Amino acid sequence: MSQDNKKVTTETTGHVWDEDLQELNNPLPRWWIWGFYITFAFALIYWLFYPAWPIANTYTKGVPGLNNVTYVATKVDGTQETKTTHWNMRSKLMVEMNELHKEQKPYFDKVAGKSFEDVSKDAELMQFVNSAGKTLFSDNCAPCHQAGGQGKVKFAPNLTDDYWQYGGTYENIQTTIVGGRHGVMPAFKAILSDAELTEVSHYVLSLSGEPHNAAAAKLGDAIFHGDKAGCYACHGVEAKGNIAMGSANLTDKIWLWPDVLGAKTPEAKLGEVKTLIYGGMDKGVMPVWETRLKPEQIKLLTVYVHDSLGGGK
Amino acid sequence: MTTTSVTNTEQYNYDVIRKFAIMTLVWGVVGMLVGVYIASELAFPVLNFDIPYITFGRLRPVHTGAVIFGFGGSALFATSYYIVQRTCQARLFSSGLASFTFWGWQAIIVLAALGDVMGYTQGREYAEMEWPIDLLIEVVWVAYLVLFVGTLMKRNQPHIYVANWFYLAFILATALLHTFNNLAVPVSLFSMKSYSLFSGAQDAMTQWWYGHNAVGFFLTAAFLGMMYYFVPKQAGRPVYSYRLSVLHFWALIFLYMWAGAHHLHWTAIPDWTSTLAATFSIMLLLPSWGGMVNGILTLSGAWDKMRTDPVIRFLIVSLSFYGMSTFEGPVMSLKDVNALSHYTDWTIGHVHSGALGWVAMVTFGSFYHMVPKLWNTKMFSNRLINVHFWLATIGILLYITAMWISGIMQGLMWRAFDDFGNLQYAFIESVAAAHNLYIMRAVGGLFFLSGMVLMCYNIYKTIKSGTTEQA
Repeated sequence: MSQDNKKVTTETTGHVWDEDLQELNNPLPRWWIWGFYITFAFALIYWLFYPAWPIANTYTKGVPGLNNVTYVATKVDGTQETKTTHWNMRSKLMVEMNELHKEQKPYFDKVAGKSFEDVSKDAELMQFVNSAGKTLFSDNCAPCHQAGGQGKVKFAPNLTDDYWQYGGTYENIQTTIVGGRHGVMPAFKAILSDAELTEVSHYVLSLSGEPHNAAAAKLGDAIFHGDKAGCYACHGVEAKGNIAMGSANLTDKIWLWPDVLGAKTPEAKLGEVKTLIYGGMDKGVMPVWETRLKPEQIKLLTVYVHDSLGGGK
Repeated sequence: MTTTSVTNTEQYNYDVIRKFAIMTLVWGVVGMLVGVYIASELAFPVLNFDIPYITFGRLRPVHTGAVIFGFGGSALFATSYYIVQRTCQARLFSSGLASFTFWGWQAIIVLAALGDVMGYTQGREYAEMEWPIDLLIEVVWVAYLVLFVGTLMKRNQPHIYVANWFYLAFILATALLHTFNNLAVPVSLFSMKSYSLFSGAQDAMTQWWYGHNAVGFFLTAAFLGMMYYFVPKQAGRPVYSYRLSVLHFWALIFLYMWAGAHHLHWTAIPDWTSTLAATFSIMLLLPSWGGMVNGILTLSGAWDKMRTDPVIRFLIVSLSFYGMSTFEGPVMSLKDVNALSHYTDWTIGHVHSGALGWVAMVTFGSFYHMVPKLWNTKMFSNRLINVHFWLATIGILLYITAMWISGIMQGLMWRAFDDFGNLQYAFIESVAAAHNLYIMRAVGGLFFLSGMVLMCYNIYKTIKSGTTEQA
């Protein structure tokens, strides 16, 4: 840091700090100062195109007519009017929505006007159903029912198999989406003794051929069909469930709330079933979609779930 | 210089600078480690382990707090105390106050991190700290201001060196920003929860006036102060242009304050605020570049040092990244560019090209100059400085490349429509598409972190040799 290797080409300001800190007084680089002017010019031009400066209760709106936006607005009474306004963020959104709705509308109209079966048979219309259905399903349904609708044990049912807790016809599915569902099973801890809970659990496992104790299952059969527990009232005498109330079919290999298939040992399987009967279940909530999606979107989703995900009845 | 340094330790208060310098390194490692971890969480969500305290939402402010206020803040305290003393030829006017700023600031960083992890937050980016911590910040910051101005006033130099203008602007602006953005009413005297005095769009605009100027004054102006001392010192060359430094200083601090609303483009703020923010951001380009020009041209006539001196390399490359991100920022603030970039990883990449490329790199360069002087010795290894330089540079490049690609990809996927006028992609598809880029970003962060750890080792050995020599 010796002084002699410094080639001072311009005058310094004459000040020295901390032994050797000095400043040259070079003129501003010409490109720098011109660049600065150009950004000011750019700003001035930008202000001609967009709302820019506040004045009292209003603001400058750019040169009139220079950057206007025209869009179609739908009024509360359903009539439409064409509006032209100075550039603003909302009008830009409206223009984009107008364009997209124009492309979508003929297809949505067809979906709304046809029966489920006719939509399903119309190959061209089904292309639209799959295109719109994929994003509608992914953005609204998949957070619970998972990508592709395969569901998740103890969380949300699989929509791709042919078992439908609330029914798998077009009408059933539409009703489910419109109004949502709330599945509840009461707790039996205060009604059945521990031994009885074990016995009825063995019986439930026996219904779908899971490992169980036959003697206990026999006692459980009586409890299931007896009036103290009254399991048959919801699950049916044959334990095949009831789509009207969404009670589960206990005779198939599909389990949503107790993870019987995931449990490795017979004891663990028994534990899963017994825990559910003991404490009941109040988690089977699907929200109402009527207030969030338009009727034609729900109808389209119904067809998408029924036909495209597979398994509809 | 070595002959005067013994008297230097008495002439100047180096003790507080040494403490801040060490904590800079500690917070650097902590903050960057948390950064790498949350980057990994985004790539592999299983790393949350379903523990609420370590989810992304809570660790992210720990990361930003530790790197901005812990690492960056401690570095600014250290260098500002170093520079103000040496360029004023005056000892900090109160050792007690200096010590208070050290312990106060460290307590703030720890409390802020604890608050974040426990779930206490104002929900304001970079101002998550709840009101009791905000009050502590206020007190410590005023002490900092008093100490800095008090030392300037008792200077033994007729003129105030340019670096000090930038530090003073940073201290004043930060006090202003912190105070107004944290105007909030606590729920009760014994509650950590508080509610902002502002609501709706006004609240958002106050927050981004703060957020943007935290970048402008904390992470730009103050680090330019650092640059204005360490670049000419390390290069052994005079600053290129006094005139340019005056002009770009005033232009920078005047124009910066207007630009914050560009963080809120395409939201429910008035259109005119959005336009003004965009245009003032554009007009900020050349004032920002003024610092880069002045720094880089200071080296003219000594360009060979880029080859021979890894410290100069850190400083000059930091200025290049500074120039790049201060160009990128104004471009992103234009309405039409922002329509693509807003809410995407492009923003994250932009921030990190500034934070890693500029803030961290200029700090590394400055510390490799300052630390040996503080302990009256030489750096343990120049080779390790060089390795650190390459680890950091590769890390940054991996990071920002990954974020550019994933950001632009996200922007394009979110606005893609098919022939039917339907969205072409579900949101989750854009998440899945970014997976490999998130891995690349985490790897980039790991490179940068390993450089930081290497620096700690190098400085540890340096300090050890310094202390042995003195003993």
